[in-house]
Amino acid sequence: MIRQIIAIAIKELKVLWLDREALALLFAMPMFFILVMTFALEGVFQAGSKGHPIEILVVHKNGGPVADRAIADLKKMEGLILIETYEGIPLTSDKAEQLIHKGVYPLALVFPEGYTERILKTTNDPQKEKVAVHLISDPAMNFQLLATVKGAIQGAIERQVLFAKIPQRLKERLGTLGGMEGQLENLMGDTNVSEREKSGVVFIHTFPKGFNVGRRPTATEQNVPAYTIFGVFFIVLTLASSFLQEKKDGTFQRILAAPLSKTALLIGKLLPYYLVNLVQIGLMFSIGVFVFGIKLGNLPALVIISIALAAAANGLGLLVAALGKTEAQVNGLSVLLAITLSALGGMMVPTFIMPDLMKTLSLFTPHAWALAGYHDIIIRGLGTKDILSEMFVLLGFASIFFVVALWRFRFDQ
Amino acid sequence: MMNTSIFIVDDLWKSYAKTDAVQGLTFQISRGEFFGLLGPNGAGKTTTIGILSGLIEPTGGRVSIDGVDLFSRPMEAKARLGLVPQNFALYPTLSAHDNLVFFGRIYGLKGKHLGERIARVLDIVELTDRANQTVATFSNGMKRRLNIAAGLLHEPKILILDEPTVGVDTQSRNAILESIHSLNKSGVTVLYTTHYIEEAQRLCDRVAIMDQGKIIALDTPARLIRDLGKGIIRIEFNAGVDDKLLDQMDHIGLVRVIDDQKMRIHIETDRTDQSSRELLDLIKTRDGLLKTLDISEPNLETVFIHLTGRNLRD
Repeated sequence: MIRQIIAIAIKELKVLWLDREALALLFAMPMFFILVMTFALEGVFQAGSKGHPIEILVVHKNGGPVADRAIADLKKMEGLILIETYEGIPLTSDKAEQLIHKGVYPLALVFPEGYTERILKTTNDPQKEKVAVHLISDPAMNFQLLATVKGAIQGAIERQVLFAKIPQRLKERLGTLGGMEGQLENLMGDTNVSEREKSGVVFIHTFPKGFNVGRRPTATEQNVPAYTIFGVFFIVLTLASSFLQEKKDGTFQRILAAPLSKTALLIGKLLPYYLVNLVQIGLMFSIGVFVFGIKLGNLPALVIISIALAAAANGLGLLVAALGKTEAQVNGLSVLLAITLSALGGMMVPTFIMPDLMKTLSLFTPHAWALAGYHDIIIRGLGTKDILSEMFVLLGFASIFFVVALWRFRFDQ
Repeated sequence: MMNTSIFIVDDLWKSYAKTDAVQGLTFQISRGEFFGLLGPNGAGKTTTIGILSGLIEPTGGRVSIDGVDLFSRPMEAKARLGLVPQNFALYPTLSAHDNLVFFGRIYGLKGKHLGERIARVLDIVELTDRANQTVATFSNGMKRRLNIAAGLLHEPKILILDEPTVGVDTQSRNAILESIHSLNKSGVTVLYTTHYIEEAQRLCDRVAIMDQGKIIALDTPARLIRDLGKGIIRIEFNAGVDDKLLDQMDHIGLVRVIDDQKMRIHIETDRTDQSSRELLDLIKTRDGLLKTLDISEPNLETVFIHLTGRNLRD
């Protein structure tokens, strides 16, 4: 049986190799997307706009009026949604971290307890009595987007701190507050950078506990895995077309008239496509490393996700081969699935800026799980144990695809 | 010489939701025999071949190949069979040699033995000088020959050929038939399906005529023609004939009206020369009525017409 499987696999590789244009397309297509889209879409994500607001968790237990006013200001900002409770319960710092860790929300803003009191006690000496406001972010969040949101939040908070401290400052400088209240706004408008530095607030950006992140994610770190997954699923078209061709030419019939099981035939037939997928993934990540300088993180974990991803893609290919009765059906279905599942799975637009319904739907695509796995490894610095859930889900998708495909597959039609 | 059955088919059935494609086929093929399965399109030949080569599961019945039950020991039974399907069943982007390497490996051939077998089958089908040429560049005739070569690689005891000459020119067809005949003479048992009468008559030791999933006659071509074959006079008129004229034709032979307009009739007769003269006398008074008249001497097709009232190629 092994010899027969190898014979089928070698034949299939020869057939694939002779159709070099199709094979080249499998590699060129995701490469093209990685190169072009990474450069072209750098910083152009629409997240944070009115139509695609960013959801920010806010923790402000006993933060006082200065925190409340900063939050109120942030709520007025277009493109931001502030969430203070989760399932009806006010958020805690731990809960917020947990939700970001799970990828439910991308950002959390944490005001310390007694924030207002502590702010008002600070002096103008920036070396003393600093009050820390924490911004916790998902390491997988787009860096450009994060920088923009961070700037907006920081500005709003410092503005309210300065407002709160103006009476104290005036008292220090003028000894009285008489007749000055109406000019507070003007005073704020004139506030310069050096005065902001003296606000006494330290803005600390962290990642949730458990993430080993020594650096920030770049567009490449997000786009390389995303478009690799996108390209991997294009094997569906090549694989399904090849099965259809064998049915059409009657070669399946001839092979099955030989003393050979259908299982051996399918394994031998799928094996080359599986290997092509793995080579494809290797090549795409090599481009990421050598052209864009990304660091891949834990390699065994990366291999595990890649193996599971290729299994899911091959399973889907066999499913399309089982369902498509004509070349047009196979072509249409393959392209439809490759594009739709990629879009839905967050390959083109990050899932965290999608509406809730789309976010939920994305969980029904292998793409989203593969991307989550790759992000865990590359961006969040997680290891083998941490990506097992993604691996099992991908293998689950692969199993479902294979079972349904084998149920529906007819060798003679 | 042909007294040991190598292929035993016993009460074979294949039913689909609305039809019984194969209905209780029973026959035996002797070792070294050239056995033909003749029938029109839709008679159930391809389904039968599919079952006999282990590709389609039957609804009922038993098939034994060289003493091995096909359904309980399929791998052993299949190793004794060589299938030449109706489709070319080749990889067009690969060379003839690479195709044969692949199909040989599928049957477990390897190394020097595989190389020798490839050289031998290419010689049999006269494609040795085209071995390294891509199959896509082959003519239909060459593809048919390579198709046969692929079925011969593992030296099967029984070679099943499903319409192996469809779509080829006369020259290639003769070459293919000659190759198959030589193979049979060298001891290979052949099960041959065709709807070409002349092929069946020329090659087959015995012929089973199939219609609507059943064998309606089985014997040597000579005996079938002798016992069941009548000459056929096919007549086409320019207008529908009246009942009076049809009644008058009745004494010439068995008259069958082919179409509703009564413009085409067949007359079965044992004496085609005399009957055609009588027929021409009968209709000479009807000016312009006769359009064409065609006479077939008794053959397997007239046997089929006799048995079913239909043409084999309808």
